[in-house]
Amino acid sequence: MVSTKSINSFRREDKTLKSKGEKSQPIAYLLLLPTFLFLIVFSYTPAVQAILYSFTDWDGFNAPSFIGFDNFIEVFQDPVMLQSFENLLIWTGITLVIGLIVPFIGAELIFHLKSKGSQYWYRVLFVIPMVIPGMVTLLIWGFIYEPNIGLLNNFLRVIGLGHMTNDWLSNPGTALFSLAFIGFPWISGLNFLIYYAGLQNISESILESAMLDGCKTLTRVFRIDIPLLRGQFKLLLILGLIGGLQNVTTPLVLTNGGPGYDTYVPGLYMYVSAFQQSRFGYAMAISIILFLITILLTVINLKFVKTDTDGM
Amino acid sequence: MSKTLKHDLIYHLILFILVVMTLYPLFLMFFTSFKNNEQFMQNFWSPTLPAHPTNYIDAWNAVSPYVFNTVLVAVISVGFGLLFASLSAYAFARLNFRFKNFLFIALLALLMIPGLLTLIPQFVEIKAMGLFDTYSAMVLPYISGMQAFAIYVIRSFFESQPKELFEAARIDGATEIRAYGSVAIPLAMPILGTLAIMNLLNVWNDYLWPMISVSSPARWTISVGLLNFKGQYSTQMFYGPLFAGYVLASLPLIILFIFCMNYFIEGMTSGAIKM
Repeated sequence: MVSTKSINSFRREDKTLKSKGEKSQPIAYLLLLPTFLFLIVFSYTPAVQAILYSFTDWDGFNAPSFIGFDNFIEVFQDPVMLQSFENLLIWTGITLVIGLIVPFIGAELIFHLKSKGSQYWYRVLFVIPMVIPGMVTLLIWGFIYEPNIGLLNNFLRVIGLGHMTNDWLSNPGTALFSLAFIGFPWISGLNFLIYYAGLQNISESILESAMLDGCKTLTRVFRIDIPLLRGQFKLLLILGLIGGLQNVTTPLVLTNGGPGYDTYVPGLYMYVSAFQQSRFGYAMAISIILFLITILLTVINLKFVKTDTDGM
Repeated sequence: MSKTLKHDLIYHLILFILVVMTLYPLFLMFFTSFKNNEQFMQNFWSPTLPAHPTNYIDAWNAVSPYVFNTVLVAVISVGFGLLFASLSAYAFARLNFRFKNFLFIALLALLMIPGLLTLIPQFVEIKAMGLFDTYSAMVLPYISGMQAFAIYVIRSFFESQPKELFEAARIDGATEIRAYGSVAIPLAMPILGTLAIMNLLNVWNDYLWPMISVSSPARWTISVGLLNFKGQYSTQMFYGPLFAGYVLASLPLIILFIFCMNYFIEGMTSGAIKM
């Protein structure tokens, strides 16, 4: 994440260069040319177009017609959209609670091992699932939830809970929760790596003096590790919120938003509006709203991170 | 040693159970890929003999074109993407020119823009340019998409290097291009490796964009192709070949992971910090 701080320090440095009277070096523009050609065509233009088209009624083929804020008004009255936001809230809520707590416990368990060799190997074992392509992971989870030959139902039958078997992804009562529980037992992943790196950064001397004071493991976790990892918790919270907004592929591949609209999320609805209902203008209005929420979250995050470093 | 083990025993126990739960589905995928349907139905939970490696022939015929397409798209995108990014990063870090601040802030602003915002207009644009259903439809936006973050990271790295290194090259009569090629780039190799892995993973895992921008199966990448492959084989109930296909789709990344584990872990962690 880029903080405003780095921009400011950059600005200062630029001034010092100028005051030294160094000459402009036009070759710089040549070096920047390929990057900015690409950015103008494939990043800036689409971003501007998203804004412009969001004020139009457009099917993607015929000429778009300007309709003012109608799309935005519709977004907030569209029952599917409201259901999508509600689903997103539940989904993100579950994944945040799980994703903030479980990988932290995993990282602590490994970090507390005396043997450095074991630490290394457990870390590698938990990283392996991250190397599996995203689509393979999704399809494996599709197989786990599959009603007839799936792993979960098979397991329930083996342990004598056959009556609990379910068509997990097609049953309205379980579909959204099944998607949110993907990744069980939830250790493996980026959150784990970030926590573990954070624990490694805690200085040895703090840990040693805690040990000399007879600090018990749990006391240490609560008194030392958790306060010192506050930055990581905040980072993962914001990444989890932003990541949730962007999630399209999981529901698209596993449930296509079904049953009914039970696993629709705003990103998926944006996709469906454009590519299945040919409502490009409306889809772009949804994308603008998601963009504004992202910006809002980022600003809140920057504020939090800033006060955090100021306090230290 | 025994003291260490005693201290760790309870942790080992919990961790072992967690590792089994985490990896068992992958293990199941692997051994099921060698089964025929009879073995799969009768002995779901464990490996069986005889193994049926012929599953892999079926799977290879179906999946290998997608693997090749993905490697092609990923290598070209990452190669050119990082070449352009490193050139720009060098300019921002080492050269003095007008509009430097403006251009850099315009670049950083892109870090705030989520991929979903540009997804649909990018599609419209690709169609208008006549690039729909070509490799370029994937490669060009990928190159553009990796610029902002890569430039930011590489520039910070160049700035952290002592100025004298570059000055020396220039005094020796080297041009800026030479200083870039023979001083800056060799120094930046580790950071370029991390960025390469990070972006490679992004391209490899992307589903949405290839599905939207390409329609011919001949150009499908692994995500799109594999989902289609799954559709065919699971309705025909060929589970062995299906799982063999999953293994084949995963193998290139696993091999890469074995050889550059540290780049992987770093690439994944710094990838998280990017939005």
